Amino acid sequence: MVGAFDFVPAIVLLPFFSFLVALFLGKYMPKGGALAGITATAGSLLLSIWTVLTVAGFTGTATTYQQTLYTWAGGMEGTPLPYELTFGLLIDPLSSMMLLIVTLVAFLVHVFSLGYMNDEGETGLPRYYAGLGLFSASMLGFVVADNLLMAFMFFELVGLCSYLLIGFWFREEAPPSAAKKAFLVTRFGDYFFLIGVVAVFATFGTAAFAGDGSFPALAEAALAGEGGGDVNTLFGLDPQAWFTVVGLLVLGGVVGKSAQFPLHTWLPDAMEGPTPVSALIHAATMVAAGVYLVARMYGFYALTPTTLAIIAFVGGFTALFAATMGVVKREIKQVLAYSTISQYGYMMLALGSGGYIAATFHLMTHAFFKALLFLGAGSVIIAMHHNENMWDMGGLKDRMPTTYYTFLAGSLALAGIFPFSGFWSKDEVLYEALVHGLGGSPLLLAAWAMGLLAVFFTGFYTFRMVFLTFHGKPRTDTARNPHGVRWNVKGPLAVLAVLAVVAGFINMVPVAKLTGLEIEFLHDWLAHGPSGLTSEHYSELTHDYANYSVGTLVGGELGTALISGAVSLGLALAGAGLAYSLYNVPEPVEHTDRLGSAKDVLFNNYYQDEYQVWLANDVARGISRGADKFDQGVVDGVVNGISSVSLLSGSRVRRIQTGVVSNYAALLTLGLVALLVILGLQGGWFV
Amino acid sequence: MTAPAAFAGLTALASPMQMGQLPDWTALAPVLILAVTGLVLLLIDSIDADTTNSALLAGVSTLGAAAALAATAWSLATGVGQDGGAITLFADALVVDGMSLFFTAIFTSVVVMVTIASYDYLRDHKHQGEFYSLVLFAASGMALMASANSLATVLVSLELASLPSYVLVAYLKENRGSVEAGLKYFLIGALSAAVFTFGISLVYAATGSLIFADIAEALSGGEFVGIAGLGVLMVAGGFAFKTASVPFHFWAPEAYEGAPAPVSAFLSSASKAAGFAVAFRVFVEAFPLATIPEGINWVLAFQILAVVTMTLGNFAAATQENVKRMLAYSSIGHAGYALIGLAALSAGGSANGNVLGASMAHLFVYGFMNTGAFLFIAMVERWGVGRTFEDYNGLATQAPVACVAMSVFMFSLAGLPPFGGFFSKYFLFFEAIENGFWWLAAIGALNSVLSLFYYSRVVRAMWFEDPSGSFELGSQPVGLYAAVMIAAVGTVLLLPGFPPVIETAQTVAGTLFA
Repeated sequence: MVGAFDFVPAIVLLPFFSFLVALFLGKYMPKGGALAGITATAGSLLLSIWTVLTVAGFTGTATTYQQTLYTWAGGMEGTPLPYELTFGLLIDPLSSMMLLIVTLVAFLVHVFSLGYMNDEGETGLPRYYAGLGLFSASMLGFVVADNLLMAFMFFELVGLCSYLLIGFWFREEAPPSAAKKAFLVTRFGDYFFLIGVVAVFATFGTAAFAGDGSFPALAEAALAGEGGGDVNTLFGLDPQAWFTVVGLLVLGGVVGKSAQFPLHTWLPDAMEGPTPVSALIHAATMVAAGVYLVARMYGFYALTPTTLAIIAFVGGFTALFAATMGVVKREIKQVLAYSTISQYGYMMLALGSGGYIAATFHLMTHAFFKALLFLGAGSVIIAMHHNENMWDMGGLKDRMPTTYYTFLAGSLALAGIFPFSGFWSKDEVLYEALVHGLGGSPLLLAAWAMGLLAVFFTGFYTFRMVFLTFHGKPRTDTARNPHGVRWNVKGPLAVLAVLAVVAGFINMVPVAKLTGLEIEFLHDWLAHGPSGLTSEHYSELTHDYANYSVGTLVGGELGTALISGAVSLGLALAGAGLAYSLYNVPEPVEHTDRLGSAKDVLFNNYYQDEYQVWLANDVARGISRGADKFDQGVVDGVVNGISSVSLLSGSRVRRIQTGVVSNYAALLTLGLVALLVILGLQGGWFV
Repeated sequence: MTAPAAFAGLTALASPMQMGQLPDWTALAPVLILAVTGLVLLLIDSIDADTTNSALLAGVSTLGAAAALAATAWSLATGVGQDGGAITLFADALVVDGMSLFFTAIFTSVVVMVTIASYDYLRDHKHQGEFYSLVLFAASGMALMASANSLATVLVSLELASLPSYVLVAYLKENRGSVEAGLKYFLIGALSAAVFTFGISLVYAATGSLIFADIAEALSGGEFVGIAGLGVLMVAGGFAFKTASVPFHFWAPEAYEGAPAPVSAFLSSASKAAGFAVAFRVFVEAFPLATIPEGINWVLAFQILAVVTMTLGNFAAATQENVKRMLAYSSIGHAGYALIGLAALSAGGSANGNVLGASMAHLFVYGFMNTGAFLFIAMVERWGVGRTFEDYNGLATQAPVACVAMSVFMFSLAGLPPFGGFFSKYFLFFEAIENGFWWLAAIGALNSVLSLFYYSRVVRAMWFEDPSGSFELGSQPVGLYAAVMIAAVGTVLLLPGFPPVIETAQTVAGTLFA
């Protein structure tokens, strides 16, 4: 029977076709290829919905799908390759959920682009829509990948597309530079990822994510003492230590793509791209790819406590660190950029502290509310004639109510205010970090504390942004007479606003604990699936190998959940309240001077760019100069020497070919005699 | 009759059991088809003397070669000479087995390409009937070489392949270069044939037989080691001539350069492969390492030959100014690579069959890429563009498709992915390492790096240099274009299609050691 899974390749291929169509036929089509993209992503969205329903069991029994589509190297008889390199699909609850998120956001971004790009009369639209199509296709291919190598290839495609789209306005000065920065910084991380992929192959002989022969399963077996001989560890490390090294190598790619400290610097610059692209990058594709990768191979990470601790700590630190930078920014998209870094920090914190479900949950809610906020910001930017400075706005609330109310919904979710979606997911992230921290992992408590503190800053910068943009009196003429927006902007905003409000209800853990109702739908969803890929399996692993156990404050788990929720809600409200008192006035003024010397540090983003530029410019260039000297002197010298020797001896050889036949006959005979003498002496023919 | 039963009937028809009903001599069908086609061509030529009906002549030759190729492919597919053991004929003088069929496939493929290309190349020449019939007679000689099972048939078939070749090289008899090359080829050939025949007589003196299996048995007795050793080495010399290995290579650069380019393609691909076919069989079957006395260390001889041949070929190719001559030397270099198939054998080596098979597979791929490269030269000669690298400058602006094909050949010859030459060379070196001869593989790899230098010169000249003058390419030679494209498509398809080739080659090579 033909089922949803037979159409999974189409989910990836449809946007790819729209890429081809837009690229080659875009200029002959109305709207520059937008309609092809919209149709393709709508088709992908419908197929994704069907897939999710199939995985959930609405069309029969709940089922998952794993299929190798194409073996492009190895696996043939008689070939000496010890492993196969394949393309394949893995559809389980995690990937099908991600498919739904990505296709939905991609679809809405395409629709929104009609308003942001077409209506604004941009040129180069076919290139833009081709980029969007390829971007969506790459991310979808990454999501359905059933092995690490395939994931890596699509991961790189995602990086390439982000480069193309961030640098869309390549005639201006800043976008190409930002695009290059995004490309290079993420490439730096991906370099480690690539080594990690090779290490996985060298260690396990496979890079499959799921099944008995998958590398997480082999790693688990090796650590459990069953068949430990199947894995080859390098450098004489024991399996535990070597897996940690491998995990950290792959994590390099994650840190780069998901913009975690210290490779987050590309992301704020990436705001130079068109705003719908920012929405796509931040909500569903590029940045999400990193976190998704960790979730995808969580069975591997769960085995190495050191890696988990590093993930948690980096995540918690990034959450706080980015949030503090967000509080002083003047441009609306810059605030959102730092909020993205911070929110992905939360997801990493959750993954590191054993909260697989929490991370997935936050990934989903964040996708909705961050896409909403970016599209809302895009709407504001249209209205403000592409002026992004919040100090030039003000009072837009009355002039663009749809944008205002949807943006407000997104902001409430971002700040984590009850009962918006962000509250539930962020609360669960912090709860997981807290209980596992209390259960005997003090490092997690430190990461949790940073995450908790970041809640306050999040509340503050979010509402500072809302108040500066929409409240008070208009501060410029443009703000007094903003440009109107059409249905194609308002429609996506409305859809996402609804989701930003309600998406949290699928997993209301505190409510479930309080009432005893079975409403933790996401828990149930992620608990089924192929063996070895379920949340239950992961929690066993973190318990057995990382010694994560649950500790509580007063009142058992329920009490801890309630206390944790109340504290984070209180902090969020405190941050929002501070923003209210400072900025919700008719004519707000800058308060950054009160920060004293911290102001400069924050405005300069902790001098992160400066030190990285110093690293790249002075340190790397110095080393490169040395290497260049070596290359010019020693390597080139040897190569040139060899080539001149070759050419010289080549011309000598040429001279043997005199053109005189009698010389040839003589040389031939002499050669034969020489051979004869060698063999004869060696074989004793003459005795 | 139900459908499954019908299928069963069909399968039974095609199965080797049924094949066994055919008389044994039908296994020689490819050789016979080639010879008969040559005779038919002579017949046409005698009915309509000095015909210039190129279409008819080229068409008949191509059809004949294609029919021989089809017969070979069918025999390979149905397991003639493999499933029921090798078929021996005429008191063991000839043998048809997987290896002879594999090599016959190479020869016939090359002949198909060469005859298609000759349609244009020979258009304004006289004596076309002779040309095509000589090509086909030479090809039947080569096919016989691959089937030879006795030193007598080896000698006869080798001469049958060689004599037409001398004439073909000198075919352009108005052209001094062509005639001179033909004469030199003939003189060196005569010398080599003398050495070879003397070698055979010494072997006969030591063993009392010319049949391979009997020679092997007699040699295992360990008598007359000195005489037998001399004979073995001189026989090796004869094959070195045919494969253009150093020091018997002197004829090659001149013959390849002076001959009409399709003939160069034919000689450097098919004739060379024929030399290897017979060398592989003689040394593995008649002088087997397992039983031969220790004093006759022919592997050492081939190791020296392989290293010297590939090094000299590549070094000399690097300094050439003339593209055709560069290809001639590169062809010598490739003979060195193929010699690894014999040089990396060892008594009881576990990968003996694999390394020999890898060498055969390399010759198969080489048949396409090298023929294609020479046919491109033929096309350039037809256009009247000069012969040096400078003359090729900017050719891609005029003939982009053909230049893409030529770039494919060059990169494939250099052994770069993603072309057929990459895998064949990779497997050859890999199996040599497996059999314990890492240093041979290392020297081969170093030589490949050097070869990239001069192959890429052609590509650079065609694509990146500005033309020095203006081109007047004139008409598009359809036949040449088609032949070059067949070779190019073959070279590209042999990357994904390589597994069946290497599997067949290694299986049939493995049976020689069984």
